Amino acid sequence: MNNEDKPEVVEITYLTQAYMNRLQSLNSAIESKDEETIINIVGELTTLRESSLYQELGMLTREIHDSITNFGNDERIAQLANEDIPDAKERLNFIVTKTDEAAHRTMTAAEETMTVMDGLSVEADAMRKRWSQFRNRELSKTEFILLSDEITQFFESVGLQGSTVNSQMTEIMLAQDYQDITGQMIKQVVTMVKEVEEKLVRLVAISGLADVPAAVKKEEAKVSNGEKAEGPQLPSADKEVVASSQGDVDDLLASLGF
Amino acid sequence: MNKDLKILIVDDFSTMRRIIKNLLRELGFNNTSEADDGQTALPMLKTGKFDFLVTDWNMPGMDGLALLKSVRADPNLSNMPVLMVTAEAKREQIVIAAGAGVNGYVVKPFTAITLNEKIEKIFNRLEK
Repeated sequence: MNNEDKPEVVEITYLTQAYMNRLQSLNSAIESKDEETIINIVGELTTLRESSLYQELGMLTREIHDSITNFGNDERIAQLANEDIPDAKERLNFIVTKTDEAAHRTMTAAEETMTVMDGLSVEADAMRKRWSQFRNRELSKTEFILLSDEITQFFESVGLQGSTVNSQMTEIMLAQDYQDITGQMIKQVVTMVKEVEEKLVRLVAISGLADVPAAVKKEEAKVSNGEKAEGPQLPSADKEVVASSQGDVDDLLASLGF
Repeated sequence: MNKDLKILIVDDFSTMRRIIKNLLRELGFNNTSEADDGQTALPMLKTGKFDFLVTDWNMPGMDGLALLKSVRADPNLSNMPVLMVTAEAKREQIVIAAGAGVNGYVVKPFTAITLNEKIEKIFNRLEK
């Protein structure tokens, strides 16, 4: 802070000296009633005041001009707008496709497994009933031979279905490979967004909007219409505004008489 | 509970429709149909003799809240039980949905148990 104040102090001293010189001359001119000199000195004082104002203004203009020029010359911004942002959009769309595919792949495998398991449990149930009939000596010899064949077939089928289930489980595991690639892509996009954020903060600083209190800006941006769907909220969202769990939702609905 | 209920599942994401369909099947409800937004759903509801509507909120075209309001405004559909399954978790929104006449509200991500609980609750109340 002190370092920044110093040049100003020097200037004030220089200015004060200039004013003092003029005032001393003015004083003696008044004493000697030299009207022409008085008018000249008053004129000089006005010029002195104006020129120091213009100097300040000039310096400020130069600073703003330099900032804007530097900002415009930043090739990275053009690159961000022309390449990185379209690229990020493509990446995000790719992520949507990839996760959609993975979800469907997983569900197909799960559904097929469920069908197999349902079939096995129905077969096993039928077999169990026949088996207990046999143990209660309720089956004839021919019926037993038939059951024995069915049991043999069932064992074979369990082996086959078992390997089907196994390969479906492998399919489910493999379908999770989207996480690696989409995770990396999301990180790339986050890095890009961070860079754009930094550039925007600089732009805001140049345009002088930095003085607007952050809270006010946030408030203005977030005027929401309750009927509009906004999509998922972050887990860190404001608890006063967002119901963070099904329990919260149930409590809220109960308080409304549900 | 009557497991032959004809149920319409409305969500713009096919994965979510599939998950809900599978969970409903696990609960014994096999008679389900799907629609990807309110605009597609409404004509189906009007002609399809559905008993129960499960809908998302945030969808392109006609969203779930607009669909719910249309259902309540249609004399032939106004009594249909509606369960909202949505990521919209703002308190303000839940209050609005309740005001529009929703019968149950499930926030995503949800579990099979929650879904079952809410469906049972809705039908228990209707049977009273």
